[in-house]
Amino acid sequence: MAPSKKKHASSQPRIIPGGFTELSLRFSSDSVSEHKLYLKEHKVRAEKSSHRPLDRTLFVLNMPPYCSEGVVKEMFSQFGCVRSVELRDHPGSSKESGPKLSRFFKPADKQGFKVGYIVFQNPSSVSAAKSHPHDAPLVVCTEQRQVRTGAQKWIQQYTESFSHPEKLQQIVDSFMEGYDKRKEEEADRQKEEAEQQQEDEEGWVKVTRGPKGTKGRPHSEAANKRTLQKEMRKKKRKELLNFYTWQHRNTQKEHIADLRKKFEEDKQRIALLRAQRQFRPY
Amino acid sequence: MKKKLAVAEDLAEMIPSEGHEEEEDEVPVKAKRSKPGEAGGEEEVYHPVKLSRSDLYRPPTAEELNQLKEAESLFHCSLLKMQMEELLKEVALSERRKQQIDAFIQTVTKLLQTVPDSPEVEVSDPSWLSSAVKVPFLLVPKTTKGKFHMAPPASVDLIGSYPLGTCTKPCVTVDLAVTIPADVLHPKDVLNQRYPRKRALYLAGLAQHLASSSDIGSMRYACLHGNRLRPVLLLTPPGKDSSSFTLRVHACPPPGFFKPSRFHPQRNNIRTEWYSELQPSQCEGSGPPTPHYNSSVLGDLLPRAHLQFLSAVSSQCSAFADGVALLKVWLRQRELDQGTGCFNGFLASMLLAYLLTTHRISNSMTAYQLLRNSLNFLASADLTVNGISLARDPDSTAPSLPEFHDAFQVVFVDPSGHLNMCADMTACTYKQLQHEASVSMQFWDNPTVDGFHSLLMTPKPMIRTSDHVFQLCELVKLQSSCKKMNLLSELMDHSGDYVHTALPFILSLLQRGLGQRIHLLTHSLSPDPEWSVESEAPKHKAQPPLSFGLLLSPELAASVLERGPAADNPTAAEFRQLWGSRSELRRFQDGSITEAVLWDGESMCQKRLVPRQIITHLLQLHADIPESCMRYVGSMVDDVIKTGREVPSTGEEGSLLVVQSYDDLSRKLWRLEGLPLSITAVQGAHPALRYTQVFPPVPLKLDYSFFDREKASRSLVPQEGKPCPAYITPITVICHMEGSGKWPHDRFAIRHIRTAFHIRLGELLKKHHNYTCRPCPTHLDVWKDGLVFRIQVAYHREPQVLRESVNAEGLLVVRDNEEAQALEMATMHKPLLTSTLHGLQQQHQCFGGVCRLAKRWLGSQLFSEDITEDTADLLVASLFLQPAPFTPPGSPQVGLLRFLHLLSSFDWRNNPLVVNLNNQLAATDYTEIKNDFMASRESLPVLFVATPKDKNQSLWTKRAPSVQMLQRVVMVAAESLKLLEQQLMDREQIQDVRVVMRPPLDAYDVLIHLNPKQVPLLSQAVDPPTVTFSRGLMAGSVAHSGGALPVIDYDPVSLYLAELRDAFGDLALFFCDPHGGTVIAVLWKPKAFIPMPFKTSQMSARRVAVTGEEANTIPNVEAILEDFRVMGKGLIKSVEARTEKWSF
Repeated sequence: MAPSKKKHASSQPRIIPGGFTELSLRFSSDSVSEHKLYLKEHKVRAEKSSHRPLDRTLFVLNMPPYCSEGVVKEMFSQFGCVRSVELRDHPGSSKESGPKLSRFFKPADKQGFKVGYIVFQNPSSVSAAKSHPHDAPLVVCTEQRQVRTGAQKWIQQYTESFSHPEKLQQIVDSFMEGYDKRKEEEADRQKEEAEQQQEDEEGWVKVTRGPKGTKGRPHSEAANKRTLQKEMRKKKRKELLNFYTWQHRNTQKEHIADLRKKFEEDKQRIALLRAQRQFRPY
Repeated sequence: MKKKLAVAEDLAEMIPSEGHEEEEDEVPVKAKRSKPGEAGGEEEVYHPVKLSRSDLYRPPTAEELNQLKEAESLFHCSLLKMQMEELLKEVALSERRKQQIDAFIQTVTKLLQTVPDSPEVEVSDPSWLSSAVKVPFLLVPKTTKGKFHMAPPASVDLIGSYPLGTCTKPCVTVDLAVTIPADVLHPKDVLNQRYPRKRALYLAGLAQHLASSSDIGSMRYACLHGNRLRPVLLLTPPGKDSSSFTLRVHACPPPGFFKPSRFHPQRNNIRTEWYSELQPSQCEGSGPPTPHYNSSVLGDLLPRAHLQFLSAVSSQCSAFADGVALLKVWLRQRELDQGTGCFNGFLASMLLAYLLTTHRISNSMTAYQLLRNSLNFLASADLTVNGISLARDPDSTAPSLPEFHDAFQVVFVDPSGHLNMCADMTACTYKQLQHEASVSMQFWDNPTVDGFHSLLMTPKPMIRTSDHVFQLCELVKLQSSCKKMNLLSELMDHSGDYVHTALPFILSLLQRGLGQRIHLLTHSLSPDPEWSVESEAPKHKAQPPLSFGLLLSPELAASVLERGPAADNPTAAEFRQLWGSRSELRRFQDGSITEAVLWDGESMCQKRLVPRQIITHLLQLHADIPESCMRYVGSMVDDVIKTGREVPSTGEEGSLLVVQSYDDLSRKLWRLEGLPLSITAVQGAHPALRYTQVFPPVPLKLDYSFFDREKASRSLVPQEGKPCPAYITPITVICHMEGSGKWPHDRFAIRHIRTAFHIRLGELLKKHHNYTCRPCPTHLDVWKDGLVFRIQVAYHREPQVLRESVNAEGLLVVRDNEEAQALEMATMHKPLLTSTLHGLQQQHQCFGGVCRLAKRWLGSQLFSEDITEDTADLLVASLFLQPAPFTPPGSPQVGLLRFLHLLSSFDWRNNPLVVNLNNQLAATDYTEIKNDFMASRESLPVLFVATPKDKNQSLWTKRAPSVQMLQRVVMVAAESLKLLEQQLMDREQIQDVRVVMRPPLDAYDVLIHLNPKQVPLLSQAVDPPTVTFSRGLMAGSVAHSGGALPVIDYDPVSLYLAELRDAFGDLALFFCDPHGGTVIAVLWKPKAFIPMPFKTSQMSARRVAVTGEEANTIPNVEAILEDFRVMGKGLIKSVEARTEKWSF
């Protein structure tokens, strides 16, 4: 970073409306053109997550696809020690909770431009990054840090996609163990709830909020719909059709109305086709 | 009707008030969908009809009731009736046009009546004519006796379709008969072409007179139906109307001048001595009969009588003119209405007259019924065997029907009883007519077909109708074949027209030779020659090449063996005579010894050309036509999908191999023991398993030294710095597991259980069959027979589980989502489609071939991302399931042409394409689909394909194509079709059908050129590469099991494309030919380059430009171009940015 330090005195950080600082990024030192990163301290009103502490997190926009979390970590450690790096497709709150999955089971990431949340050790690093001059670009691929792209990367990816069946089986087994445990806990909880709703010795029932009844499965939307339909069908079955003269007359009327409607529809269709000159045979 | 109109107007007023919102909604959609320059036909939008209650339920009038009932009972719907009415309006002549015509006729008539007399000269002396006008006659032999002089015509009358009111657009021709005065002719002139020559001289005289007038636009000669004995003079009006109609001047003898009995088909009117210019021979007798000559002279005598007859008939039937017009349109779309031996408008009117006079149709029928009945008659009556006659009570001299049949192939006798109006028609043409009529009747009755379009709107050129087509190019050679076939007296009868003399004999020869292999043999009708009055009549050879079309019968066409009668059978001699030296005695497995001909052909694509071998052999043997004269366009396009070194193949054999290997695997899977749950179904889900993979996977043997090894499993891994290894397609197989209570009810858990199944299956296959396997969470790859099968375990309730979620109130809600849809697509719809199409391939041999060609075209034109493989297969399937007005394609080439025609001519905006797989949809389903489609058109995919399992969503085309891409596909398809048909039919063109497979690259903004070394499928490219790279393959037989796992599904090009689309998908579109394309074409999205206000969610690859207080973002183009290079390191050769095209 020697050359960039020299220029440091002469150039200023560039700040655009909206409070973002512009930072340049080059793939390698002999690249001709550069991407612009936009960074700002992470600031949200309602987020209490511990892994994005408000004072120490840097929010970075437009991270090119070849910057992996490791590369970003190294690149930004020039501003201070980096605790963690999180790259995401879109800005937003942190990951949804769920069982921890091994890398083989995670859905493939989109290899596009990312948004980064960089957590530093010290709050001072955030401001150091923000005051970095815009004409001293960060460099992704250097002598010390080779970043693989293209054919090299694909071969590496292909090689890494192999997993030994036994290892895979282990992962599966441990996950299923966890799953069974969770399942059991759930069942226990439900049992407990069910017990609570039983009459106690003196004949009292404890009424609680939450799912009613002892059914293990929650109500489903489909079941509701089905009952409604059943009712409707029942009603319909009771009706007599074409029994009275007026009913017969009505059916005939409906028929003519139907024909008329069809005629009108056809007419419109023809008008449409005519407008498109579709009747010229040649 | 008035009342109804008023209602319609009311409606129009009513709708705006409530439809206003809709309209406003429309505007942005339209703006988005139509490109600025091409908003042409897209303006109209279909709105669902809204009728108020009072309109629908008001009491009907009797008239309205009748009309509605008629529409309901006569037509599938009133739509067809209205469509026909509209069509008739389009082809009818306008009043203005009629006035023009009448005025021009008057001028010409006046001019004609002032023709000056001229002194009498010998017939063979044309010196009285000025040099600017030539005689429209081929003078062979040169001289004839007789005197001739010019005189004003005895009368000038209108004849033909114009006075009858059956004249239709386009090519409006008005016929004018000019009667040659009786003193110019002599009753003996019928002999030895004296009358035809005088007639030609008279026309030349008229032309000379008219040439001086300024009221005539242009003047040309032509021949009536290509008959050189009957020249006519074509006049057009001067000025800008010159192309709007033509006046055809016929010269006729005075009515009754010749006795009709002289033209009996068994009489001779051309003396052999005169024709062959020999000394009169001693032998008595009048020589061979000259039926064709007789009928052409007789034809001149009768036009007025015919007109009278037809007007009498048409005056009784009000719909006569409309019926004829419809029939003419039908004939014209089938290219049957023009040329030598055609079924022209005159015959159409005569046919209707015949049906009316024989009371097969009644006078009160509508035009629609007239058309239907006449087609029905044509389909059922065979005029080549049982001729028909319009003569009520012919006089005793008139020939009988058997006498006509002896002389002509098709017999339809005119009202006088003397003339066969179909004298020039070949039996093949009539068979074609009959075939067309019966095909039309079939689909007309089918309520699922758009009858109107197929019947009257779709043109059927020969190249798109016939499975194979061949052309005879140098027609001069037919002269020698006349000699070889001993046709001298027929040649005399045809007055030296050797092409039409030889044609019927060649046709019957081919018919005999091809026999059961073909359903139908058709030939093009040579167009009427036309030439200017200043030049000599063109020679017979000057006409364009004769084209013949074959409609193959799929089971027999490709058989290599022609089995004849037993050696001692008397018919054996006949067989030997037909096949000449190719016929040999062979002993068959059943013990019989018979005559047989064995043709060459190992692979399917060679066998498809057996008809070509037969035709070449027969023409050479019997008609003396060398192979060089013949141009066979049966499989020119197949080259682009041809592979194989020793035996060229278009993929049928390869696909079969894959399917066999798959069947074996499936059997083995079924038999596996030791799985916790049993297998309920094994289904293929890959195009190769339905014979439609463009280049089916080939069993490979690997050279291990070419690869690196992965450490743990010793699997092969591509080596850096070497060319990319050969691409191995994984063939997807779905393996359904039995449902059980043990399956968890959780998405992640199901995924893990599936993995466990993959591992277990892999272990078992390795243990029992020694297949190398590689289990993954998503699939299990099995290396077998040099192929890779990718087995995916599926659990039928998984999509359901993915859809379920519990909301805050604890209610279980089912919501559709993309993940579930994708899974359903992969595990249910794709296997189903694969098995259904596999079944279709069993019914139609060349289904796979057509799919392969169509997809090759789509790929090479860079459309394979937009029209996906499954969509393309479905589109091709529709060509087979609903071929109307054609028959199912019988060769890949004709299939490709129809595919292109479907893409370019189908009205995607207003119609759903219904693919009736397995014939599961009934007529009511069609209307239902159509109505659903109409009701929610705007929200449905632009290219809408409905199948029995998917009636109103069009699953396969949901993602792509977009409106703009479809527009481009339609445009390119139309252009390709035009170009390809020209290439195939026109011998003058530079012969290179690959032209249609080379995409125009000038439309794109950036071209990324790839390094051919890293393109694994390079050898599949349209233009085969000059250099080849070693890709780690070895020759030799393939081991069935064992060995190290190869590099599977590793294609740098598609990996690169995926990365590019992920990163820059919002900014640009990326196109590439998946079959060995070495260039990636990039098109910027115009909208991406409009400066946008700064937004944290839309910053990908953009930079900020600050103007004052505003921060706008624009794409960082230089950096993006650099990224193209960075991300494709090792794969790309160069990035060519065409900055001059960029407009931002």
